[in-house]
Amino acid sequence: MAYLQFPLFILFILLLGAVITPLLMKRFNKKGQYFIISILMVSLSLSGYLLFQVMTQGSYMYNVGNWSPTIGIQFSIDEFSTMMVFFILLMTTLVVIYSLRDIEHEILPMQIPVYYSLIFLLLVGMVGITFTNDLFNTYVFMEILAMTSCAIISIKRKKANFMAAFKYLMLNTLASISFLFGVTLLYMATGYLNITEMSKQMVVAWELYPTNILLALGFMAAGLGIKAAVFPLHTWLPDAHSSAPTPSSALLSGLVVKVYIFVTMKVLFRLVGTSIIIGNLGIHNYIAYFAAVGMIMGSVFAIGQKDIKRMLAYSSVAQLGYIFLGIGMATTQGLSVSLFHVVSHGLMKSALFLSAGAVIYKTEKRKISDLSGIGYEMPLTMIVFSIAALGMIGIPGMSGFMSKWYLALAVLESGQPLYLIVILLSSFLNAVYYLPIIVAAFLKPREDGSEEMTRDGIPRTMTMPMVIIAGLIILVGIFPQIIMNIIERAVPTFL
Amino acid sequence: MKDLNRKPKENFLQRIPESLDSFCVNCILVFILTIFLVGIFIFITMASGIGPGGNLIFDAKFSIAGTFVNLINNIPYLPFIAILIPLIGGPIEAYIGRKSETLRDSTVVNSTFVTFLIILAMYPQVAEGSIDYFIPGVFGVGLYFTVDMLGFIMAMTAGILWLMVTIYTRDYMKIERHRNRFSLWMAVTFGGILGTIFAGDILTMFLFFEMMTLTSYMLVAHNQSKESMLAGNNYIYMGVAGGLSILLGIILLYVYTGTLQFVPLAAELNEAGWIKYVITLFFVLGFGVKAGMLPLHIWLPKAHPVAPTPASALLSGILIKVGAFGLLRIITSFFVPDISSLGELDPTLWSVSENLGAVIIWVGIATMTVGVFMALQQSHMKKMLAYHSISQMGYIVMGIGVAAYLGDYGAMGFTGSVYHIVNHALFKGLLFMVAGLVYLRTKEQDMYKLGGLWRKMPFTALVCLIAALGITGMPGFNGFASKSMLHHAIIEAYEYGHSSFRYAEVMFTIVSAGTVCSFIKLFGYVFLGKLPEKYEKIDGDNGMMDMAMAGLAILIVAIGQAPNYFLNAFLIPAARQFVYDPYFINNYLVDMNFFNYADISIMFWIYLFGFGIFFIGSRYHLFHLTMPDWMDVETTLYRPIYNLVYKNAIKITDRYEMTIIKEDVIIYTVILTVALIILTRII
Repeated sequence: MAYLQFPLFILFILLLGAVITPLLMKRFNKKGQYFIISILMVSLSLSGYLLFQVMTQGSYMYNVGNWSPTIGIQFSIDEFSTMMVFFILLMTTLVVIYSLRDIEHEILPMQIPVYYSLIFLLLVGMVGITFTNDLFNTYVFMEILAMTSCAIISIKRKKANFMAAFKYLMLNTLASISFLFGVTLLYMATGYLNITEMSKQMVVAWELYPTNILLALGFMAAGLGIKAAVFPLHTWLPDAHSSAPTPSSALLSGLVVKVYIFVTMKVLFRLVGTSIIIGNLGIHNYIAYFAAVGMIMGSVFAIGQKDIKRMLAYSSVAQLGYIFLGIGMATTQGLSVSLFHVVSHGLMKSALFLSAGAVIYKTEKRKISDLSGIGYEMPLTMIVFSIAALGMIGIPGMSGFMSKWYLALAVLESGQPLYLIVILLSSFLNAVYYLPIIVAAFLKPREDGSEEMTRDGIPRTMTMPMVIIAGLIILVGIFPQIIMNIIERAVPTFL
Repeated sequence: MKDLNRKPKENFLQRIPESLDSFCVNCILVFILTIFLVGIFIFITMASGIGPGGNLIFDAKFSIAGTFVNLINNIPYLPFIAILIPLIGGPIEAYIGRKSETLRDSTVVNSTFVTFLIILAMYPQVAEGSIDYFIPGVFGVGLYFTVDMLGFIMAMTAGILWLMVTIYTRDYMKIERHRNRFSLWMAVTFGGILGTIFAGDILTMFLFFEMMTLTSYMLVAHNQSKESMLAGNNYIYMGVAGGLSILLGIILLYVYTGTLQFVPLAAELNEAGWIKYVITLFFVLGFGVKAGMLPLHIWLPKAHPVAPTPASALLSGILIKVGAFGLLRIITSFFVPDISSLGELDPTLWSVSENLGAVIIWVGIATMTVGVFMALQQSHMKKMLAYHSISQMGYIVMGIGVAAYLGDYGAMGFTGSVYHIVNHALFKGLLFMVAGLVYLRTKEQDMYKLGGLWRKMPFTALVCLIAALGITGMPGFNGFASKSMLHHAIIEAYEYGHSSFRYAEVMFTIVSAGTVCSFIKLFGYVFLGKLPEKYEKIDGDNGMMDMAMAGLAILIVAIGQAPNYFLNAFLIPAARQFVYDPYFINNYLVDMNFFNYADISIMFWIYLFGFGIFFIGSRYHLFHLTMPDWMDVETTLYRPIYNLVYKNAIKITDRYEMTIIKEDVIIYTVILTVALIILTRII
């Protein structure tokens, strides 16, 4: 039964990594790389084992320090959280392997240990939010996450980074405070901070203090809306994600934003409960409206971008719309598709950012119009990019198609066929901005006119993670059941 | 003097050394084997007769063939292998090509040949029903493959055309670059096409259909010139939009009927109300893009001429047929009532099919008319052939329309269109090959600038004549059979249905005459007349290319001489697998008399009329009309839509992106306030 303690071990190991990394090494070297990778590997294998145990033995509640859940912190170790933690750690490990060489080009050498320390803290925040079953604890982890993200964005020490980081900091503080306000109001109404206990009190509290709960929901929605970059509140995202170092862009876009979606789902479905959300308020409808607007507008803004990383950032805004649309359906199918798309988009967007980063690493080209013939120069990188981009468009065989397929079925099942048009329009808009890049990369001649196919010329530690992620995209695209089987068991924890 | 000095240089470039290398030996062997096997195959299928129970020759007791058949009968995964070979072969070919081009080309031919053999090997199982193969787990619902007679006919056509084109490709592609890439995507496209054909449910079909769209894009845009990129853009965006349209149809169908299989669904769809027309519309739009149906055809005359000739031959020969095949699949399944409930069949169940059919007939007629009219105005050989592809697709689409319109009497339209799919693949593939060889030798695509080439390339002229006679419907060549069947079909449409289809028949005749005229133009201007001086020293025919063209020409003549064989052995069994009235099939289709007085005399008048158009047109210069810009569907419809999407997106970004970013806190405040107001009001 040793696995029962694993959640805390994972957090502890990651925290240890964060503390030791800058202490252990003044300058970044091979030893440091092995140390970082081994810490990630250990936590990854722990979470993998945990996932396996939870899938076979069933979920459980973990009380930190064995305090009573009403006073102490409680972790909910269920199918959902273990799966997502495993996914987060897996993706981070791959991205960190990629970053080992890439980061040397992006930031000063003396900052590299600090950078990895921040990455570990970021992981602590993400894993903590996913595990925790305590609302105030969620807030604490959210603050950790926001601070470290801010530091990671500004680590490049350029004007654009400082601007983006400042904007990020301001808006996210606003969001955190909103969220905290909501937590306080709910605490007033229910008397607990533990989500399970709160939800038990919710029916009574709804009768007694409806205004409190409504105000709390309003504040939380606005706060989480900023954090999860729902369309008109996405303003911090393009700057932040495009100016951060590439590996961390992949992490921020692929994983960090998703964590807030988990919080949203926990608050809406675990805490307040479907009877109030759907029966009395109909909040899910509004979520779906915002999601639909985001799906279209994110793509429209992405079409207008000239910088590839900024385009990818706007594409994230659109893709987050897909996830929220699934939540907005508030059905089993809807929630499973949004969880599926969390995974699928995490894979695709990481692959896109990493391959775009590899292009920047080698050629310093960031403008989309400069990418002609890059496919001859870096074939493998652009193949990875193409696979992920085709997935975004929704070509069968990639994971993105399955997301769209499930989403369309979910939308129709809940009787809102209008969103189907939105989904397909958004897919077409995706095609409008992704296809020209693929075409230019492989079919237009290079600037120097040569069309010789050459090796990518980037370190193997950079190509390997990209290829693995591309393989995962295709694997999930062809056998979605691998993930869907877990998700189908995770969704009932919400509804 | 300068001119004299330059000439030999040009000639030297054009003079591609031809020697009998291993590739040629390989091709000749494959070609002989193919002829031999097709011969045996024809013998077997002839003996097998029409109906079930006539398959004596497959009985293990009677022949070696029977033993062999028993062996392959137990393999249900043949279609999967047939798809897999090109899909795996493509990358291998591209890899080999980096070492040795000859070896790569041999591999291409051999792998296609093996695929073709596997397709032929499916026949015994198909003849006794269908091959069903299911791979669970993929895409959540599993991949489902079915080969029925219709699929088998399509696959066989694709296989033989592909084999001939691969033999042809090597010598043609010497003028193109990136040959490894070309062979890779050509192979993958083949896999995609076979997958689409063998798909047993609409989702599997969609998967391979999308694959085919994307990979064939690489063929269209292959030579990377500005025109081919533009044509490619047109192709890919329309293809993706078409694919999304099909996807929308599939999703709606799945939600409203709960199935993805190709089974009769008319009863379930009837309950769906107006949604059934939406589903129909999405399917017709999606497949119509590929099939080059009228307002959706604009990618076709752009894409086919700029693609390398082997690719054009394949695009015109088989790829656009896949669109028609998709239409055939859906009209023979989703809009058809369940045959088992035929006893208390509700006649209203046919209503969707009937309405759809009526629309498709007129779309087909419009497509064939516009196609042939535009073809008459072209001087560019491949462009003209591309417009003829549109026009001939109009015939096929019209046949499909009749099949849908007449419900269970639609067997004539069904068989006619399938027959025309096969025939058109043969002669249009051949015509493109001819145009390609002429281009290879003369570097000229404008047929008015050519002439007298029969002296230089007599064999090419001969096969061109055969193909032209085929496409114009001369009795004794394959086009005649399918065209007269389609003609019968449209006559049936107004006999059993609405009288307005009488005008459709008139249009049909006029279009056929236009086709005749157009091919008189092609053959006359390219091969007859005076040879321009600059072509005095060009090379003539090319061995391997001639062999490939000969293969198709033989088939054209063979089908033309014995049209009933193909009808009885393949088309009628195919029709019997669907709901078509067996009484109707037995009376009108079995042992149909093609060479009757009425049909031949119509063809006579059509030819006369075609000659008339040719003389009037060339006398009064009617073949050089330029269309006003608004007539071009691209300028009136597609450009504006593209601009609407693209330009507006940029405009919106320029104008609002920064505004939104700068006003983030205000947006937050507004949203928070509105959220609170909405929430508190609800109480």
